[in-house]
Amino acid sequence: MADDTADVPADDAALNAALAAEHAAIWGYGVVGAALGAGQAAVLAAEIAHRDVRDRVTTLLADRGTEPVPPEGGYALPFPVLSAVDAAALAVVLEEGVSAAWVRVLDRTAERSTRELAAEVLGAAEVRAVGWRAAAAQNPTTRAFPGL
Amino acid sequence: MPPLAPAGPRTFTRRTLLAVSAAGFAVAVAGCTSSSSADERDAVTSEQADELAAQVTVQSALVAAYDLAFTADPALAAAAADLATQAAEQLERLRAAAPGDHPAGEPSGPPPAVGAQGWLRAQVAVAATSHASACLDQAGGRAALLGSIAAGLRGHEARLA
Repeated sequence: MADDTADVPADDAALNAALAAEHAAIWGYGVVGAALGAGQAAVLAAEIAHRDVRDRVTTLLADRGTEPVPPEGGYALPFPVLSAVDAAALAVVLEEGVSAAWVRVLDRTAERSTRELAAEVLGAAEVRAVGWRAAAAQNPTTRAFPGL
Repeated sequence: MPPLAPAGPRTFTRRTLLAVSAAGFAVAVAGCTSSSSADERDAVTSEQADELAAQVTVQSALVAAYDLAFTADPALAAAAADLATQAAEQLERLRAAAPGDHPAGEPSGPPPAVGAQGWLRAQVAVAATSHASACLDQAGGRAALLGSIAAGLRGHEARLA
């Protein structure tokens, strides 16, 4: 069993990076939703999931006395989002960014409860990513090592 | 403006993995960072080493399950060959992380004559849950690897649904 008191600064830095990725995902899903049109269940579900994780991490960091990073005022899109396929590809980028951040949390954290959160978020992000890769006509739709 | 995909996670380094030295388990750090805290994260107890070795057996059972399911259902083999390849890659990485002899895992029973895909999905779910659970008691790169593989298998489950 890991020591639950060790390495707190690295732990919090990784959590804040994950929080930043969640902020970016929430913003990005606004773009995805706008491109796909209103009422897209997958977009709504993803956005709700990322908002929930954002809130959990914000509370976790605040409880530790660490300042949670705020969202940026704006973000640069990695490519123009001009079609439904572009929107799905953007969603893939968002989920993969989140996965990478949470794998880093797994690498850095000393707390079992944080690893539980990370493992849960990682699995959910990859399931969403599989759906978006299919929508973006990417092949393969799965990854052996999400986030690594 | 910041990029949408933060640069930080992209720079995640795959330090990790375990290697067995003549004296026992030792950490082989293959990445960039080399702080004492990183070393502490990658230090492994004998219990953690045993748990990681057990996950090699779990993954080998999953690879065997893919083989059995594909034999039972050639159409599934054609549709999901990439998943089997990824499961084998995951096994390879786990073996590298926990070198040594490991008992071969076996899936729970043969796939049914009809419904091999559902059976395979259940085997994937078992392996994913096992890796995710094992991840909680690991640290450093081992936790990251197991968590990542568990997530990858959740993706397999989604494909096989």
